[in-house]
Amino acid sequence: MLRVFLFSILFIQLLFGYNYDNLVLKAQSSIFPKIMLLDKKVQNKLIDNKIIYTIAYDTSDYQTALHVEEYINSIFKGHFDRYPYKINLVDFSHLSPNTEASALYVLQSSTDNIKKAADIAFQKGIVSFSYDVNNLKDGLVLSLIIEKSTILYFNIKYLHVKNIDFIDSLFPMVKFIDKNSL
Amino acid sequence: MKLTNFGSLSFRIMSSIFIVSIIIIMGVFFAFEKINKEAFYNVELQKANLIVKTIEPLIAIDIYFGMENKIQNILEQLMKNEDILSIKILKEQKEVIEVHGKNNYETLFTIKKDIFRPNSKKKIGTIVLNYSNHNYEQLTHKYTNLLVLMLVILLIIFVLLSVYIKDLLKPLRRVARLLRGFSPEKRLTIEPMNQNNEIALILSALYEMQEKVFDYARKQKDINSYLEAEVSKKTKELREQLFVDVLTGLPNRRKLFKKIKEIKNDSALLILNIDDFKEINDFYGQNAGDYVLKEFAKKLQNFLRDEKNIYLYRLSGDEFALFFQQKPSFRTFMRNVNSLVKEIEKMVFEYEESEIYIRVTFGGTMERDGMLEKADIALKLAKEQKKYFLLYNEKLNIQKQYKENMEWVQKIKNAIKEERIVPFFQPIFDVQAQKVVSYECLIRLIDTDGSVISPYKFLTIAQKSKLYPQLTKIMIEKSCQYFQHKETTFSVNLSINDMLDADMVAYIQKSIKKYNVNNKIVFEILETEGVENYEEVSLFILNIKRLGCKISIDDFGSGYSSFEHILKLDIDYLKIDGSLIKNLETDKNSLIVVETIVDFAKKLNLVVVAEYVHNQVVFEIVKSLDIERVQGFYLGEPSENIDL
Repeated sequence: MLRVFLFSILFIQLLFGYNYDNLVLKAQSSIFPKIMLLDKKVQNKLIDNKIIYTIAYDTSDYQTALHVEEYINSIFKGHFDRYPYKINLVDFSHLSPNTEASALYVLQSSTDNIKKAADIAFQKGIVSFSYDVNNLKDGLVLSLIIEKSTILYFNIKYLHVKNIDFIDSLFPMVKFIDKNSL
Repeated sequence: MKLTNFGSLSFRIMSSIFIVSIIIIMGVFFAFEKINKEAFYNVELQKANLIVKTIEPLIAIDIYFGMENKIQNILEQLMKNEDILSIKILKEQKEVIEVHGKNNYETLFTIKKDIFRPNSKKKIGTIVLNYSNHNYEQLTHKYTNLLVLMLVILLIIFVLLSVYIKDLLKPLRRVARLLRGFSPEKRLTIEPMNQNNEIALILSALYEMQEKVFDYARKQKDINSYLEAEVSKKTKELREQLFVDVLTGLPNRRKLFKKIKEIKNDSALLILNIDDFKEINDFYGQNAGDYVLKEFAKKLQNFLRDEKNIYLYRLSGDEFALFFQQKPSFRTFMRNVNSLVKEIEKMVFEYEESEIYIRVTFGGTMERDGMLEKADIALKLAKEQKKYFLLYNEKLNIQKQYKENMEWVQKIKNAIKEERIVPFFQPIFDVQAQKVVSYECLIRLIDTDGSVISPYKFLTIAQKSKLYPQLTKIMIEKSCQYFQHKETTFSVNLSINDMLDADMVAYIQKSIKKYNVNNKIVFEILETEGVENYEEVSLFILNIKRLGCKISIDDFGSGYSSFEHILKLDIDYLKIDGSLIKNLETDKNSLIVVETIVDFAKKLNLVVVAEYVHNQVVFEIVKSLDIERVQGFYLGEPSENIDL
């Protein structure tokens, strides 16, 4: 019974939790904050002189979000370069324009949630990162996959957004996509 | 020839162009080499820098993101550039990756660039790029080759140009060679050029010039021939004139000399001079004078035309000579002279509306030696003695006198030059005061041996030789200077010529003022001159007395003067002639004359001076006659210095 219970929990987990690739998560945890620092206007996004790195998740992905937080802390140890940061884990259901965020990292979720996160990020004028590259079509800015090498994807729509200005040297690194290419 | 080549036009042109071009090329070469080498180097350096700058952000971001594997790709792509020898990425001083190219050029330069974290100034690594110098070396090598090639081409052009210029100037050299052989007598063949350039112009001009030169030379030749003929003609005329008197056509003095030299036997000479011919010129005019001379010559020639022994000459001015080729007897000679005299007396010269008569004086000699001089002496003596003819003989002793006169003239001249004409001073005593009150300045000539020469020996000669005025000036100057600061009067003798000579009068006045002796000086003038030239003397006295000077009449009683004349002259002193004073002792008549003079003088308030008082007896007589002043050897002889 216990086995069944545990298996069912796992199954439920499996049924209701997305299957995240740890390697990708680690790479994204390592790279996304760095990409955020490549924004020339990063200073404008500080909240109380801190970078609030907000991770949006579904309830079922809470653990994943925690893992991501752990990864980030282990790599960056409280500072993105010279900026102190705070990881802000926010459930999609609580995500709103009032949510504090200097940057938004979006784990997997429904299309509506993704769109909502993308809109909030857009309104706030902050960079939004997506775990899933396919979510870029819904309005998120950057994503990363690992194939033979690490490939960064950039939503071309956000190339000339008002409050986001990446350094030029980023762009040779990235692949630009729009909703049609996904 | 070599020297000529170096100086040739073509050489100069070519060498100038060559030198200038070499300078320009070398300048360009070095300038460009320096500039271009640097430029080429910089280009390569910039290329390398550009590469590094380009890859740095990519590598930076790869390092930043930790995607070091991507760096390898980038570097491998980069190594396709064959100029990149190697590239190394260092992260925190440790080598991350290094890639080497295929090429292995020896020369290279290394570019190092720091890698900075994107959007940050933090250094995260270093790129070290080794870039090959190969391109640079190739470029410079190519450039140098190009310049050398240019130089070679330029040299070839120069050579060709020099040949061309030499060829262009060839006609000029040809013409120069041709012209060397030019002579006004030999026409050169100048071939015209069928070109329309400067050399053709020169040749054409040369041809024209040659024609003009020839023409000119021909004319010159004609002129020269004409001139030569004229010169010959004139030379002949001059030769003739040498011995011919132009006015009368008679043979001249030179001809006579020649004749005398040629004739070895005894002969005789008669010189005749037209008396006062100057007056004829002055009165009737020069033309009349010439007319008289010409006519006189003709008449003489006519008169002598039958005399084969007598040759007529014109010596000068108004002098003619008759040369007796064979010495005639004295009687014949005198007959000729007398005939001539009579003939000349009859001669009438009608000039315009005047009739002119002449008188002639003759001087002759029958001695061969020095006949011209002797005849001349005889003539002069005849004039002096107012005779119409004098024949020269030794007894006249004239030559000796002439010689002596000449010697004295030289002596006087030397004495003047050597300042040996000096005044001697003879005291004049005041009888009443019994002291010297004045001095008479008497001229003396100090001979070279120191002896003192009295004026009677040289004054006459001085007058004749016109040295007298100089002596007067010396006396005036030295006497005034001597008595300038002495408190006594002094007297100086003046002649009528002195008084008539404006220059002398001015000199006297100037000297008086210069030495400020106006009130000390007394001028002694001879009584006879005062009588003969009353007007002039009177004027002189008037002017000189205005200056404060005094006048004394000297040798009074020696002439046949009228007291009335003396009355009119404003004199201060009266010096009784020495000849009267000397004879006072023995001659009663002299005494009477002297008494009369003294009486006359006193009435006129004139101071009387007795000269030539030579002994005590005469002195006593003079005293008794109440003569105020005395002068003479008894009281004092003339001496060079005085003791005041």
